[in-house]
Amino acid sequence: MPGDKIYEDLSVVVRRANTVFYVVAVLVFLTLSYYWKVQIMDYKKFWDLAEANRTRTRVLSAPRGLVRDRRGVILADNKASFKVSLVRENLKKGTASYAPISALLGITEEELRSRVERYKNVPLFEPVVIKDGLEPEEIAPIEARRLEFPELDIAAEPKRSYPGKILAAHVLGYLQERTPEEVRDNEDWGLRLGDMGGRAGIERQYDALLTGQDGSVLEIVDSLGRKRGDKATQMPTPGRDVRLSIDARLQAKAEELLGDREGAVVALDPSTGEILVLASSPTFDPNRFITRFTPEEWLKLINDPSSPLENRAIRGLYAPGSIFKVIMALAGLDLGYVTDQTTVYCNGSIEIYGTRRVCWFPAGHGSMNLPNAIKNSCNIYFYSLGRQMGIDPITRAAEQMGLGRITGLDIPGEKEGLVPGSDWKLKTQKTPWFPGETISVAIGQGQLQVTPLQLAAMTAMIANRGVPTEPHLLLDAAGRRAHAARRPASPPPFKRSTFESVIQGMWMSVNDGGTGQGARVEGLNACGKTGSTQVVSRERAEMLARAGKPIKTHSWFTGFAPRDNPRIVVTVLIEFGGGGGAIAGPVAGQIFSLWKDLQTK
Amino acid sequence: MMIDRRLFQEIDWILIGLVLLLSFLGVFFIYSSSHFLATSYYLRQLIWVGVSLVAVFIVIAVDYKFLVSFSIYLYFLIVAVLAGTLFFVRLIAGTKSWVRFGIFQIQPSEMAKVVLILVFARLFAEYKGRYLNTQSGGLALLTAAVPLVLIMLQPDLGTALTFVAIVGGALILAGLKKKTILILLVLSLIMGVGGWNFGLKGYQKRRLTTLLNPREDPRGAGYQINQSKIAIGSGGLAGKGFMKGSQSQLRFLPARHTDFIFSVIGEEFGFLGVFIIILLYFLLLARMFLSVAKARDRAGVYIIFMASMLIAFQFLINILMIIGLFPVTGVPLPFLSYGGSSLISNYIACGLILNVKMRRFANV
Repeated sequence: MPGDKIYEDLSVVVRRANTVFYVVAVLVFLTLSYYWKVQIMDYKKFWDLAEANRTRTRVLSAPRGLVRDRRGVILADNKASFKVSLVRENLKKGTASYAPISALLGITEEELRSRVERYKNVPLFEPVVIKDGLEPEEIAPIEARRLEFPELDIAAEPKRSYPGKILAAHVLGYLQERTPEEVRDNEDWGLRLGDMGGRAGIERQYDALLTGQDGSVLEIVDSLGRKRGDKATQMPTPGRDVRLSIDARLQAKAEELLGDREGAVVALDPSTGEILVLASSPTFDPNRFITRFTPEEWLKLINDPSSPLENRAIRGLYAPGSIFKVIMALAGLDLGYVTDQTTVYCNGSIEIYGTRRVCWFPAGHGSMNLPNAIKNSCNIYFYSLGRQMGIDPITRAAEQMGLGRITGLDIPGEKEGLVPGSDWKLKTQKTPWFPGETISVAIGQGQLQVTPLQLAAMTAMIANRGVPTEPHLLLDAAGRRAHAARRPASPPPFKRSTFESVIQGMWMSVNDGGTGQGARVEGLNACGKTGSTQVVSRERAEMLARAGKPIKTHSWFTGFAPRDNPRIVVTVLIEFGGGGGAIAGPVAGQIFSLWKDLQTK
Repeated sequence: MMIDRRLFQEIDWILIGLVLLLSFLGVFFIYSSSHFLATSYYLRQLIWVGVSLVAVFIVIAVDYKFLVSFSIYLYFLIVAVLAGTLFFVRLIAGTKSWVRFGIFQIQPSEMAKVVLILVFARLFAEYKGRYLNTQSGGLALLTAAVPLVLIMLQPDLGTALTFVAIVGGALILAGLKKKTILILLVLSLIMGVGGWNFGLKGYQKRRLTTLLNPREDPRGAGYQINQSKIAIGSGGLAGKGFMKGSQSQLRFLPARHTDFIFSVIGEEFGFLGVFIIILLYFLLLARMFLSVAKARDRAGVYIIFMASMLIAFQFLINILMIIGLFPVTGVPLPFLSYGGSSLISNYIACGLILNVKMRRFANV
């Protein structure tokens, strides 16, 4: 090239520039290697992260199984319930939007604020439930203004509903939100916080059966949590249906008969142990547990001195009163202390161990054999029988007839009651048994404590001529007979003739002008026994009686029908009702009567 | 001034072709990552490419020697504009660095890079020593410091960072003794510590700490790095397909069409896409750097080298940043990221290279 000296020597700078380029080239290669590592070697990890990023699982609540009565009438149902949630990130004007939202939903602004505050650690795109348990009618005005409130989200989910309201409330029990511990301990159930779980009654007993498996939708969401499509749907599996032995018609009748009185009615089929009626009064509406109580309602319910949540039929403890006389009679006959024909003369009072004890019929029943003593519920007869027997055979007989332990009914919370005895007293009170106490026990007073259900089971055993029965509510679950396998019956504790003699007395009580005549139903041949339990001490009761004042007693009746091949046992307790014959007997009579009508239909 | 036929033939069409190829790929990915937004960014970018091409032809029409000698005036102009924007221009996107022209906006700081290249070319054109002396080094640093401080005050850390490429490139070319390197290291250490304690804003510090531990704050500062890395990693070998990247289409990825465009490529076209783009870049950078040998004079060498350094530096910083190896500093990927100012300044840088290269024989 001509005049090459025009060009200066640039070799040094060019060499330096090239060196820098080689460094750049190496850096580019190293960077590319790192991309190789991230995209090829760690591909799986980042793929999973990207998947997790864009999918959100929304739960589809599974409906609980239905609860039906023995004829298929639905006692516990599910209905669509709506809930309104707030998606905070969509709030247009921040907290300024709270006022119109609370006005729309009919809640106070503070309520809304505190509810949102509770979820402040949850990502903003997660909906916060601000009102639930809404009916379709209630949701309509909110739905209509949806466009004005893009921050509100409305969703439907199945909610428990009890169409009979208070009907069989104590049998069904109720639901409450599951505790965090419960959710943690039952991981395989797929429970979530906020789920409702059975807290009492059938809902609790068969919670595992009734609870379904929640389904889920994998939603594709964008970075703001907005839904862009569904990916996979796992449909929820509803809980299994449960059929109860309850007869809704009889149950409703029993509840109606109890009215606003405190008490309990139990009816069962003695041949199978199937419970037909299990009523307790006062009662409650389990629907209120679903739609959430107002604080006042809840306080009123739990502080109510008449304890409406308490199931008196299985948890109420009462002295059996004169009903205990049938156990006295069974034991006395069987052990040979008396025969059918052994008579005792009742002149209205008797002096035992230096204390004068009175019969409920001050004029005296005169000379009585055992069936007549049962028919007239004569105290004097059983005082003298008790004195003869002493406490130990009485304790044994009561236990043989199922008292002092739970019957095993398939709802939780049953109480076992108390059968006092010499061993028991020595153990718990460190004092020997006084013979005088036996006399109180002989007429079902003293420390004896039974539940209405126990007396119903005892009556069933008498009706079965000594074959015990296991009361139960579950007829079948999802088509399977739950109680197909019966416990092998233990041999009757007493001779069949013994039972027949006592049943004769119970028959006369109802059908031959005895104390139980209020329970008589034409053509049904019912047998029964009344009881009136002194709630106050015997001394005080006698004082009141002398003063001519009315004595408040619990009113009992227990019986079965028909006399041969018995099909139904009815036990009635009415607290502070008065005489068993006058109050509890007619209640039982009406149930017998309805049952008979329903049978012939 | 017209370009005569002879000069026209000397234009490096391969370099322009590579740049245009990258730009159109950019438009393609801008479409994929922003088609669901209201603004048609890909159309705007196309217009910008056109505008940039016009700018390139203006730049190559003028002999670089004239530009170099004229650069001192451009330098004072740009310093004045930077100072002015600091005080007068309305606030946009939290930085005060935009000048509006109709619907398009220009960042003066981007133009400052081009001006700095020319000024440095002038400074070092007559410097023939084997190694850099203190006097020239000090003058160069001072020249760079004035616009740099103004840009950092805006604050625009990303653009300020690219100054390192230009200044560093010039110093390396001028020759650094071991002692000078040591002094520079100590100086930068002092600047770094001082900057950390007094200069950097909270969000900038957070970005640096996040680089060390992105999971510390996945919804905040670490979010961008995490999401970008997930996008790239989940692309695998062949990617999820055009417009099928869940990270970008579902908007998990931040700044998809601007600084994080390469994450979209990594997600939708996988390692193969990444490899092809990086390969194209490598060819472009090779073409640029190796053009140094074609320069007629010292000023030309400096211009080509600093312009190449500018592109290489932004490219490396960006692809390191989006995969979590460099702090999130707001450096776009040259030619691919959406953004007019950055596109124009990078095109002009290429124009300067073309300019030097095409005039290697010209004896004007």
